[in-house]
Amino acid sequence: MNAAHLLKRLLGTLPLLLGVSLLLFGVLHLAPGGPLDVYADNPSVSPEALAQMRVAFGLDQPLPVQYVSWVTAFFTGEWGYSIRTARPVSQEILERLGPTLILGGTSFVLSLLIALPLGIVSAVRRYSGVDYLITFLSFLGVSMPVFWLALMLQLLFAVQWRVLPSAGIQTIGSNSVLDLLHHLILPAFILAFASVAGWSRYMRSSMVEVLGQDYVRTARAKGLTAGRVVYRHALRNALIPIITVVALDFATILSGAVITETIFAWPGIGRLFIESMNGRDYPVLMALMMAGSFALVISNLLADLAYAAVDPRIRYE
Amino acid sequence: MAAAQQRGGTLTVGLGYDIDTLNVYSTGFLGDVQAAVVEGLVAPDAKANYVPVLATQVPTVRNGGIKVAADGKSMTVTYRLRPGAKWSDGQPLTSADVKFTWEAVKNPKFIAESKDGTEDITSIDTPNATTVVVNYKRVAPDFMSTLFTFGILPKHALDGKDLNTDTYNEKPLGTGPFRVKEFRRGQYVILERNPYYWRKDSKGVQLPYLDGMIFKIIPDSNTLVTQLRTGEVQLAYGIPYSQVKQLDGVPGMRIVKNNVLSWQHLDFNLKTVDAFKDPNVRKAFAYAINKSAVSKALGGYPTPINSVVVPVFSYTNPAVPKYDYNLTRAKQLLDAAGWKPGPDGIRVKDGKRMSFKIMAQAGRSTDEDAQQVIIASLKQAGIELQPDNKSGVAFRDARYKGNYDLFYGGWITSADPTYSVFFGSKGVNNGQGYSNPRIDTLLTRAESTLDPTQRTAALREFQTALMTDLPSIPITSNPSMIAVTEKLGGFVPNPTNMTNFVNTSGWYLK
Repeated sequence: MNAAHLLKRLLGTLPLLLGVSLLLFGVLHLAPGGPLDVYADNPSVSPEALAQMRVAFGLDQPLPVQYVSWVTAFFTGEWGYSIRTARPVSQEILERLGPTLILGGTSFVLSLLIALPLGIVSAVRRYSGVDYLITFLSFLGVSMPVFWLALMLQLLFAVQWRVLPSAGIQTIGSNSVLDLLHHLILPAFILAFASVAGWSRYMRSSMVEVLGQDYVRTARAKGLTAGRVVYRHALRNALIPIITVVALDFATILSGAVITETIFAWPGIGRLFIESMNGRDYPVLMALMMAGSFALVISNLLADLAYAAVDPRIRYE
Repeated sequence: MAAAQQRGGTLTVGLGYDIDTLNVYSTGFLGDVQAAVVEGLVAPDAKANYVPVLATQVPTVRNGGIKVAADGKSMTVTYRLRPGAKWSDGQPLTSADVKFTWEAVKNPKFIAESKDGTEDITSIDTPNATTVVVNYKRVAPDFMSTLFTFGILPKHALDGKDLNTDTYNEKPLGTGPFRVKEFRRGQYVILERNPYYWRKDSKGVQLPYLDGMIFKIIPDSNTLVTQLRTGEVQLAYGIPYSQVKQLDGVPGMRIVKNNVLSWQHLDFNLKTVDAFKDPNVRKAFAYAINKSAVSKALGGYPTPINSVVVPVFSYTNPAVPKYDYNLTRAKQLLDAAGWKPGPDGIRVKDGKRMSFKIMAQAGRSTDEDAQQVIIASLKQAGIELQPDNKSGVAFRDARYKGNYDLFYGGWITSADPTYSVFFGSKGVNNGQGYSNPRIDTLLTRAESTLDPTQRTAALREFQTALMTDLPSIPITSNPSMIAVTEKLGGFVPNPTNMTNFVNTSGWYLK
C-alpha cells in the first residue's frame, strides 16, 4: 500500500459521497411534510407568515435548484443555518459531538474489553457450561430492548438504591470529571451491552475456525503450553476478521445512539438527528447524514489499511 | 399562608421537549421558560381571564381603553405602562419598546411563528414614555391573545439587530421575575432572580421569592417520571395518565389537575369520503361512541364534553344538541341511511363496506388508547375502523391536507380561541374540508365584535349550529396532569397556551 494508492482511494470516495448526497436529498424531500409544518401545530399561525418563511428558506425553489445550491455550498464549507433554531449547522453539530464521542467512545472501548475475552473463552472452552452461559447472555443482549433494560437499571440504581443519577450528562453546576463519569456509567453500559453480544459471537466463531487449523495443531504437537498456543499463534490470526466488523461499527459512534441518548437525556448527535427529523430540518439532517456517510467511508478505508497491516497475505497493488 | 413565604431556593422543572430557541415569537413550542423571563402587557390568569402585567389595566370599552371608530370598522387601544418597570439590565421599560415589538415582529425578514395580530395594526403612537396608543384597522376582539401578551422586546438591545440570529434567542432580555443565566442546548436552562423586578408582594417584599429556576430537558416521559421519583426534578407537567398513580404515592409529591383549554375530537373527512356527507351517518357515529368509556380508558381523568367550546369559558353552550351513548339509536340511523349489516357484521351499502381509516398521532399513547376505545365502540354498530397513525411532520401534513378518512386528536388554544381557524371555510386548520355559510357568518360576527353579549350570543348559536351539523364530534377535554413537590407554595396551574410559568414570581419553597 503506497501513498499513490491511498490518494486514489480517497479520490474515489468523492463521487461516492456525491451520489450518496443526491440519494439522501431526494429521499429526504420525498418524505411527507416540510420544515414549516412545525409551525402549523399552533392554531394561531397565519398563512402569510408561513409564505414569508418559505421564501426566506428558499423552499419555494424547484428541488433541483435547491439541491445544486446545497451541494455547492456544502462542499465549500458553507453548511448553512438550522431551520429549527436559526443557528449555524456546524455549531449545532459541534455542540453535540463532544457528548456523543464521550458516550460512544467509552462504550466502544468497554465493548472491546468485554467482548474479546468472552469470545476467546467461549471458543477455547467450546460446548462447556461457560460457553453455553456466554452464548445465552449474548442472545439476551441482542434481543433485549434497550429501552426496557434502561428503565429497569434506572429503577434499580437511581430509584431503589439511589447510587447513580437516572439521566443527564452532569449535575447542573458541576463540571468535575468524576461527576461526568458518574452519569456515564448507565448509558455507556447499556450501549455496550448490544455490541458485546454481537462482537463476542464473531470473536468466538473466528477463534473456533483458527483453532481447527493445521498450524495450531502443529504448535500443540511441538509441546507448547495451551496458553501460548491460544495467545501467540491462534489469537493474532483470529483477530483479523474482527478488525473489519469493529472498524465498521466505529463509524456508527459518530451517528450517536438515538434511543440511549433519548432515555438518558444525553445531549448527543442521536437526539439532534431525531429532533431535526421530526422538524424536517433539512440543512442539519443533510449535514448529519453526510458526516455519517463520510465517517463510514473513512472507516472502511481504515479497515482495509489495518487489514493489510496485520495480515501479510493481503497486499494492495 | 402568606405569612410564611421564605425567600430563596431553586426549583428544578422537567421539560419533555428540546427547546429550539428562547425567543417567544419564533419558538415552535409553548414558551415555558420564556414565560418566567419575558412579560407582556397583559396575561391570562388561572381562569383564562386577562389581568394586567406591564400595563396598569386591561383595556376595555368600559374603561375607555378601547375606542371603536364612529363607523364601527376600526378601533384604537390605549395601554398605560406600569411606571418603574425595568428590563433585567436595569434600563427602564418605555412605550418605545412596545412600538418596537410590533415593528420587529412584523418585519418580513424576521422568521417567526407568531406574527398574529401584527397585520391588524396600522400604526402605534407613543405620546409619552408610559402611554401606548395602538391603531387597529379592524375591530379585533382577540387582540389580547397575540402580540402584546406573548412578550415585549427591548428596543435598546435589539434595535437594528437581526432577530433571526441575535444572541437574544439564547439569552432573552425581559422584564420578568427571572433572567437567563445559562442555556445549554439539549440539557438545561438556568434562570436566576432578576434584581430589577418591578413586582412586590402585599407586604412590600421584593419578588420573586425563589433565587432561581432550573429547566431540565428530558425528552423521554418514563425518564421524566423516574427523575420526579428520585427528586432530581421537582415539577413536571403533562404526566402520562398511566403514570399518574405511581407518582401519587411518592412521598412529598402532589398531583395537580390542570384543565387546559383543549378538546379531543373526531373529524370526518368531508372532501373525500361520500358516506360522511350524510349527516345521519355522522350522528350515528356520535351515538355509537361511549365518551365515558373513553375517559375510563384514560384513567378517568378526561371530562366528556358535548361542545367544542370547553366548559371553562362563559360562552360555552349547555343547550347544544347532545349525542349521549345510544347504540340502538346509532343502528337505527344507519339502517335508515341504507347501511345494512353484511355477512361479516360490517354494514354495506351499494356494495361498499363501511370500513374507514382512522388517523391519530403515533407515539401519543393517550390518543392511541382513546382511538382503540373508539374503534371498539364503532365495531358494535357495524362500522370497521383501521388505525392509520402517523408521527411528526407526516402526521401534521396529513392533518392539514385532510389525508385521512377520520382523524382523532386534540387542540389547545389561547384564552381567546378563534374558532374560524378550525371550522371556517377558509380555516387554516380545517383539513376536513368543512364549509357551512351559516357557521362562517356566525364566526365572523363573533370574531369582529367587542360587545361581550353579542359575542356570547353568536358563539352560542355557532355551537348549536355546529353540533346540529356535526362535522366533528367533541369527545373529551383532557386535563394536563402536573406532578409538583409539596414544598412548592403559591403554585397555580394555568390552562392557556401561555403555560404554567406565566406567574412564577409568587412561587416559594417551604
